[in-house]
Amino acid sequence: MIIVRAPLRISFVGGGTDLPDFYHQYPGKVISATIDKYVYVVINPATLLKGISVRYAIVENVKHSKELKNDRIRESLLSLDIESGMEIGTFSHLPVGTGLGGSSAFTVSLIKGLSAFRGKRLDKKEIAEAACKIEIDVLKEPIGKQDQYATALGGFNIFQFNPDESVDIEPILLDYKKRIDLEKHMLIFFTGITRQASSVLSEQKSNIENKMETLKSMTELVEIFRTKLLSGDFEALGELLHKNWLKKKELASKVSNKTIDNLYDAGIKTGAWGGKVLGAGGGGCILFLVPLAKKDEIRKAMERESKQWKLDDFKEIPIKFVQSGVEIVSNSYFN
Amino acid sequence: MEDYIKKYLKKTSKLLESLPHKEIAKAINILQATYERDGKIYVFGNGGSLSMATHFVADFNKTVFSHHLDKNVRRFQAIRLPTTEEELTAWANDVSYDMVFAGPLKNYVRDGDTLIAISSSGNSPNIIKAVEVAKEYKIPIIGISGFDGGLLNQLADAKITVESEKGEYELVEGIHSVILHLITRYFKNYFDYLEEGNKQ
Repeated sequence: MIIVRAPLRISFVGGGTDLPDFYHQYPGKVISATIDKYVYVVINPATLLKGISVRYAIVENVKHSKELKNDRIRESLLSLDIESGMEIGTFSHLPVGTGLGGSSAFTVSLIKGLSAFRGKRLDKKEIAEAACKIEIDVLKEPIGKQDQYATALGGFNIFQFNPDESVDIEPILLDYKKRIDLEKHMLIFFTGITRQASSVLSEQKSNIENKMETLKSMTELVEIFRTKLLSGDFEALGELLHKNWLKKKELASKVSNKTIDNLYDAGIKTGAWGGKVLGAGGGGCILFLVPLAKKDEIRKAMERESKQWKLDDFKEIPIKFVQSGVEIVSNSYFN
Repeated sequence: MEDYIKKYLKKTSKLLESLPHKEIAKAINILQATYERDGKIYVFGNGGSLSMATHFVADFNKTVFSHHLDKNVRRFQAIRLPTTEEELTAWANDVSYDMVFAGPLKNYVRDGDTLIAISSSGNSPNIIKAVEVAKEYKIPIIGISGFDGGLLNQLADAKITVESEKGEYELVEGIHSVILHLITRYFKNYFDYLEEGNKQ
C-alpha cells in the first residue's frame, strides 16, 4: 500500500492571473503558502481484483479504469496505463469546496502515488505539470495552474505563469519567527458554504478580456506583498489582502454574495486589518489578518454574524504553515 | 607573526561576508520540509569534511531536538554516511573508492530524505556519485562547497559555495563549520520558540 499526501494552500494575492486566458497575454503572478491540512490518497494494488475500486464521497467499482465517473482518477490511471487490479481511497482534513486547493492536492497526490507504484520517480515540478495536464488539458476545467504548483512544491512561493506555459518559481525565504508570528495574526473561518471553483471561474474566464487592467494590477500587488511579508509588516499585509479582495470581486459576479459580504464586513468592522475569501470565491473560507488584541473580539463577531445567516457549518480553522509539498507518507509496496 | 594571523583572519572574514545568504536560507527550508515529512538527513564528505559531517550530526541530533523528545512524536535525525567505518572500507576495498557514499546511500535512502554533501572542491568523484544517486531518486541536495563550487554546486538544490581561490582548504573548511553550526542553531532556536508559544 502506498499512502501519499499533499497540503492545502492559502493564496494571498494574484489569484485569477493564473488562468491561461490572462497569462497568454501577460505574465500571471501569485503568492501562496501551504498549510498543515492535507488531502491523503491511498493506493492498494489488489492482484485478484478484476477491475478498479475507488472510494471517495461515493464508492465506484468498475471493470476497467476508463469506466470511472471520477474524471481525475480515471485520467490519472489511464495516463499511466493502469486498467485494473487496484483500490484507491482518499481522506482529507477538510471537505472539498473550501477554497484551499483541495482538488489539485488530490490530483497531485494521486499522480505521485501512482508514479511510485509504477517505479517512476518524478520531481515536484514534473508532478505539478502532470496534474495541470490532466486537469486543464485533458479535462478542460476552467481553472488555473497555481494550485497544482503550490501543493506539489510546498512552502511560501511566488509563481509566475509565462505566456509560453513555463512557470517560474521563487521561494520566499521566511524565517521561523516571522512564519509563526504570521500564523498568530491570522484568522481563518470556513463559511459553511461549499462551492465548485469551476462555477465561479467559468464566468471569470469569459470576463478576462474586459478585466485585463484589474488583473495586471493584481500581479503588481504580489511584489509588494513579498516585501511586506519579509519585513513582517502584518498590518500592511492585511491592507494588501483587502485591496486584492476588492479587485477580485470585480472579476465575476459570483466571487462574492450578500452572505459573504456581510461576514467579511463583520470582521473588518471589528478591527481586522484586511482579508479575503480564499480560492475562487462564492463560498469556502475567509482569511483575516488581525491585531492580536482584537482576535477574540473578531472571533465573537464572526460567530454572531454566521448565526444570523444560519450557517450551521461555520467554524474557525486553526492552521500552521508547512514547507513540505506532496510527500509519500508510507510505502509498504515492494516487488 | 601577528601580521600572518591578521592576514589569515582578514581572508576569513572576507569569505564570511560574501556567503550566499539566500542559498543557506534555501537549505534551511529544505531541512524544515524534511522534518515535516519525517525524512532523514544524510551528511558526508572526505577527510576534514567527513569529520565536519560527523560533528554536525552529533551537534544536530544532540542539541536541536533533545529537550523536546518527550513532548513530540515526530523525530528529526541527521545521519553520517556511511554510519560505520566498516561499510566505508568494505565498499572501498570490494567495489571502488568512488562508491563509498553512493553504495551505502542507495540502501539507506527513501523518498522524502535529504542529502548534505560537503566538498571543498565540489568535484570529488565519490561525492558526485552519491549526489547522482540523490538526483536519480529526486532527493533534495544541499551542496556545501568551496573554490568555484565544482560539479557539486551545479547539481545541488541549495548551492552554498564559499567562493575562494583554488586550494584554500583551511579557509573554506573553517567557514563550512560556521555554516553547519548556523543551521544547527537555527533549528534549536526554532523548536525552543515553538515550545515557548505552546506554553503561552
